[in-house]
Amino acid sequence: MTELRIAAVADIHLGEDLRGHYRKKIEGIERRADVLLVGGDLTRHGTIAEGRVVAEELSGLPIPVVAVLGNHDYHSDHNQEIIDLLRDAGITVLDDEGTVVPVDGVRLGVAGGKGFGGGFAGKCASEFGEPETKAFVRHTKDIAERWRRALKELDADHKIVLSHYSPVKDTLMGEPPEIYPFLGSYMLAEAADAEGADLFIHGHAHAGTEKGVTPGGIRVRNVALPVIKHAYTVYCLNGDDC
Amino acid sequence: METPHYVAARVQRALAEDERTTELGIRVDVRGEQVYLRGQVSCDERRHQIENVAREAAPGLHVHNEISLVEVREPGEEEHL
Repeated sequence: MTELRIAAVADIHLGEDLRGHYRKKIEGIERRADVLLVGGDLTRHGTIAEGRVVAEELSGLPIPVVAVLGNHDYHSDHNQEIIDLLRDAGITVLDDEGTVVPVDGVRLGVAGGKGFGGGFAGKCASEFGEPETKAFVRHTKDIAERWRRALKELDADHKIVLSHYSPVKDTLMGEPPEIYPFLGSYMLAEAADAEGADLFIHGHAHAGTEKGVTPGGIRVRNVALPVIKHAYTVYCLNGDDC
Repeated sequence: METPHYVAARVQRALAEDERTTELGIRVDVRGEQVYLRGQVSCDERRHQIENVAREAAPGLHVHNEISLVEVREPGEEEHL
């Protein structure tokens, strides 16, 4: 079976002040990768103007681009408008759903969305007490359930979960442990482990580390720009040679 | 003198909530009258804005801008999974 070359990055935080800069770094990406996955925090403030910059920087590439939003992209309450304008620019945006990208006869399934926090097993918030706490935890629980269904329904040769928030603590190492509950949730990993995936890509944790693994053995990669320090990183699936 | 702990918390909140910055990943340490900002941003303009917002949130204190710029390099080696 053909190898798949997955380029991934997150937390590009584009705005007017960076217009044109990121695009320069990804020119020629088609020689290195078959698909580009972008794990959220595409903007700084989540404004429509910033969303347009993102659409310009990521559109018209010779390879498919699949993205999710991050918490910054929600800040101005224009998340849906940003999704719409990215989709109009030919970018696939996952909002708790899945998609299949055909790559040279191989079906690459990608499922996911923004994700959310709550913390990790043994040290996490529970759906208990005040309505605000319950709503916080329920938001993650609902997302995880939608991802589980999306993964199950994917008819693909390989499956990748694309998220902004982290599914594990491993890739948060370097961040203050006190803020882990705001950086991810074990429920995201649990959903992926239940249905199976080849790779889990996320961002959000700028001070974290790149590599981790879910309790079920799925490789996790934190591709936040300040972590990988490259325009993107390429992960090769199913083969020794890319 | 205001307790350094609360000054640091106020500066950190200002950096996250001020529309000019919205930076969540900046570490703020206050020692006496000295404020230290550490972290990474992607351009010099953002680095300066963070310093401005921090100065406004901690008037009268000396702000040390130790934030570094992330250099986005060309893609490196692939990882085979």
